[in-house]
Amino acid sequence: MAMTAKTLASRPKEPTTSKKLARTWRRIAANRYLYLMLLPTMLYFLIFEYKPMYGLIIAFKDFNPYAGFWGSPWVGFEHFEKFFESYYFWRLLRNTFLISFYSLIIIFPASIVFALLLNELRSRKMKSVLQTISYLPHFISLIVICGMIIDFTKSDGIINSLLVGLGLISEPIQFLILPEWFRTLYVGSGLWQSVGWNSIIYLAALSGINPNLYEAAVVDGANRWKQLIHITLPGILPTVLILLILNIGNLLSVGWDKIILLYNPGTYETADVISTFVYRRGVMEADYSFSAAVGLFNSIINFTLLVVANAISRRTTKNSLW
Amino acid sequence: MNVAKKRFALLLSALLLISAVLSACSGNNNGGSGGSASSSPSSSSAASPSAPSGGRDVGGLSLPIAEEKLNLSLWSPIGGNFRGTNFNEKASFQKMEENTNVHIDFQHAAEGASADAFTLLMSSGSLPDMIYYERWSADAVKYGEQGALLPLEDLIEQHAPNFKKILDENPDIRGQLTTPDGHIYYMPNLILESKDLVQMFPQIRQDWLDKLNLQQPATTEDWYNVLKAFREQDPNGNGKKDEIPLVSVFLDNIVMLFAPAFGVPVGMNSPFFVEDGQVKYGPADPRFKDVVTFLNRLYSEQLLDPEYLVDTTFDTLTEKVTTDVAGAWFGWSGSYMGNFTTLMAGKHDTFKISPVLPPEGPNGDRGHVSFRWQVGDQGLAVSSQTKNPEEVVKWLDYQYSEEGILLNNFGVEGQSYDIVDGQPVFKQEVLYPTNGLTNTQELLNHTIGGGTWSTVADTRYSEQIRVANGQTENPLELYADYLEYDKKLPPVKFTSEENDIVTPLMADIQTYVTETINQMIMGRTSPDTYDQVIAQLEKMGIKEVLAQYQSAYDRFNGN
Repeated sequence: MAMTAKTLASRPKEPTTSKKLARTWRRIAANRYLYLMLLPTMLYFLIFEYKPMYGLIIAFKDFNPYAGFWGSPWVGFEHFEKFFESYYFWRLLRNTFLISFYSLIIIFPASIVFALLLNELRSRKMKSVLQTISYLPHFISLIVICGMIIDFTKSDGIINSLLVGLGLISEPIQFLILPEWFRTLYVGSGLWQSVGWNSIIYLAALSGINPNLYEAAVVDGANRWKQLIHITLPGILPTVLILLILNIGNLLSVGWDKIILLYNPGTYETADVISTFVYRRGVMEADYSFSAAVGLFNSIINFTLLVVANAISRRTTKNSLW
Repeated sequence: MNVAKKRFALLLSALLLISAVLSACSGNNNGGSGGSASSSPSSSSAASPSAPSGGRDVGGLSLPIAEEKLNLSLWSPIGGNFRGTNFNEKASFQKMEENTNVHIDFQHAAEGASADAFTLLMSSGSLPDMIYYERWSADAVKYGEQGALLPLEDLIEQHAPNFKKILDENPDIRGQLTTPDGHIYYMPNLILESKDLVQMFPQIRQDWLDKLNLQQPATTEDWYNVLKAFREQDPNGNGKKDEIPLVSVFLDNIVMLFAPAFGVPVGMNSPFFVEDGQVKYGPADPRFKDVVTFLNRLYSEQLLDPEYLVDTTFDTLTEKVTTDVAGAWFGWSGSYMGNFTTLMAGKHDTFKISPVLPPEGPNGDRGHVSFRWQVGDQGLAVSSQTKNPEEVVKWLDYQYSEEGILLNNFGVEGQSYDIVDGQPVFKQEVLYPTNGLTNTQELLNHTIGGGTWSTVADTRYSEQIRVANGQTENPLELYADYLEYDKKLPPVKFTSEENDIVTPLMADIQTYVTETINQMIMGRTSPDTYDQVIAQLEKMGIKEVLAQYQSAYDRFNGN
């Protein structure tokens, strides 16, 4: 319905700004306890998330801790240029992307499948045993996990002994030294580490599906596969999409700590990622401005990916973060 | 009290609280010396240079350093072999505190994390009075120019008679220590006797050699044959082919063993050398191809530990040596050879390790590169934030007095050593501890460990520990003939402009080199393509880096 000038004029006059402000204040006063409860969280974000961002200016400076943030001289985009021109730029980008991408396309669906399989289990006892076992690695410290991976993959370790014993390979494979194995090792151990834990959220979503739907489907003659396709999957789809968007937003931020614990000069070729490069340059060689610039570049890409993924999801499925 | 007054009081108390918190913070920053800081200038002027009544003169330094107990803070990694939690548990530091009336608040970083912890400390902007670090030689200029470190040359001139005497008597040392613009930023660990400058050296299982009727390897080809025999002839006699002929914690060590024989006297971590007055970068030298080819040959025949890239801790090496599978390695006299010998005592009938002379290469090259300069990279620097620069320098100077050198090398007389015929001699319970510790560990309860501190290392210390570890021949004397002082790059100091060029270029170059060389050793890329590596290094700016090194080197020689 088009609004004519007449209908516009007949509408009640817009309240003045001061009136609007007063109304806002009244509303805040009425809900003051809710706002008070919000306060600690806001403070947390201000102090721990927003205040440190101010430190990002060192990416555009030649930072000297003794001159301080403002005392250090500006250098503009010099550090960014240096990084883009670096011999390792494309390799770092490729490794970072590939490691995250493989993790995403393997671990993400695996968690969903695992949750669906658990959901189909009829024995409650079996289900809880399986769940407990699959959660366990999540609670082991990363250092210990990496120690286990190193021990397991040595030439006389359990994996090589098993493979040689079964006659699958004749010579032990140097998993941790050969670059072609690094991603497999990283993603494979990631699978073991996180599938059980990641599946929890889908199990929660699954339990939120109305059982009436299944009953109706059974009455209609749907078998379990049809139930899965037409009820279960659509039921958890919003959760899946939200998590997928969040994961895409982290596509360029691989867990650097695990890589640092596992890589060595032999596997740099496939293992060296942006964050480990930042660690070596920034922390080991105290090149703070340079590594801040690289880190900022990384965050901007992540942010862009997140926004794009969110937009695509909103257009196509109406599910989105915002 | 009316409302306005009440509000005012509230505001005032809030302000007071804030200022109290702030001042507490700044007090912490200078290591808790805030309380005594205001009184110290007067006490220090009283203490120097005319000795106060009851004072004692130590080489020109008058003790005690402070009339009232003075607290100074010191940051230092704790060291892997020390079993305590704080250096004040060491008898030598307790005695030092008694003598100087200076208490040291030690701030310790764990050993493994020391490099990270150091850069984090230096970037935090708040520093203790003194900072111990293992690589000052390279980094002191940078931090000095940032304003983190105090230039010490004037303070040394006025307040450090013992250290000044050493500098005056050894002009070389002053040259090795002074930066391009004439500053001294740290008080180093000093070794004044040339035979003690040897650091790590090749070691081999002598009993395996004897069992297989082999001579100690004298050439690179001998090494190949000996390692091959270790691999194939079951020297540990368990019927299994489980021997790992050559074990390494870092590739660096293996390169130091063989590279000099091929005419490139470098290690991976010290890749620069000097030839005919020209600074060169080892991996960019055509002769380095031979080193890589040789190592590739060892690796491909499983003579070099196939896990050398993964097993990079001393623990894994210790395990391989003590389970009787390791044949040879490159290591220290005490902490490798001595420790292994002690660990295997009584557990193995024949276990015996011998030092090996550096191998001779196909073209007759031979040299030993694992040695250091008199001025060590490690030492104590003084923070520019210290409130007591004079006392700090005096306390540091005490480390270089005769009394301080004895304390730092031998501990407290009567507790860890006795004077026999005028010479300090360790007590038996230190050399042969019965409490389950090795003698290196036991000694650390008494001192910082053989003068590896900002002090002068005493030859009499290393001598006694060596003999106690069952080493009859003195490896340090063995290698003295093979040290090539002309070829070793001296501790040159960069200006900040030079540093700005070298640091970023070398970061990429070193990554490239370690990666490529490892790939070639493992045979993933053929060593025959080494020309391409050199071409790539030139593309990455190695010539520019070498130009900076050359100017720093020329300036160093002009000193």
